[in-house]
Amino acid sequence: MIRVLVTDDSRVMRQIVIRTLRQAGYDWDVREASDGAEALEAVRADEPDVVLSDWNMPNVNGIELLNQLRAEGFQTPFGFVTSESSEEMRSTAEAAGALFLISKPFTPESFREVIEPVLA
Amino acid sequence: MSAEVEVDQVLVIARDIFSSMIDGEAGFLESWVGEPPVLAEPVVAWVDLRGPWSGRAALRTETPTAHNLSRALLGMSADEEVSDADLADAVGELANVVGGNVKALLPEGGKLGLPEVAAELPLTADAVLMHGVALAWRGRPLVVEIWALPTLDQP
Repeated sequence: MIRVLVTDDSRVMRQIVIRTLRQAGYDWDVREASDGAEALEAVRADEPDVVLSDWNMPNVNGIELLNQLRAEGFQTPFGFVTSESSEEMRSTAEAAGALFLISKPFTPESFREVIEPVLA
Repeated sequence: MSAEVEVDQVLVIARDIFSSMIDGEAGFLESWVGEPPVLAEPVVAWVDLRGPWSGRAALRTETPTAHNLSRALLGMSADEEVSDADLADAVGELANVVGGNVKALLPEGGKLGLPEVAAELPLTADAVLMHGVALAWRGRPLVVEIWALPTLDQP
């Protein structure tokens, strides 16, 4: 079973992401982190198969989390789920090594569209 | 700003958010018909955007409606109690998604803050209401506002 770490400072949004994963047909093992610092600790302790992360968070934000993971040698597949999706952010995310960026609001279909190619 | 973000775009953003995050289908968020709604027990959530254009996206509604929105977002049943923390998180996240999508319409971009929630919106003296879009969610009033705040960070 694929193990995912869902990172968002909003508990509500984590619940929605987890529900949407299930609705998209991904019966994954889910862990949660409430900001980038907590996510970093979670990955160091037990690396998941994929990280889904918000961008705009207190303490360590999403892009800082991704950069830090790569700097520490973690190549964990990483995708953003964010309310912002400008071209600048997409290129920043891609340059940092993110596989995809899902913008909020999202649907189970928009999850499948970006996750299926990664799983294939 | 007013030339860059139109009322219709705000309406489309709000409808997208409600149909995908809250209702699971379209049709429950409509334009408010008649006199502007007066909100009893108001609650307002907002996010600020700082950049070449500084402003705020806010979502106002009544506390009972905010409870129902929270239940819908968290997949809770109608009789479940909503904590203050969950309510602030839920309506704050709605404002955050509105703000993120409004920011995407601005050519200059900027930095989005974290969501805040209160009974009233704290505004600077030079705040200008660009759009106030009155809506009805399942018949209850809800207003999405876009404010220009030119001196957001100035003392």
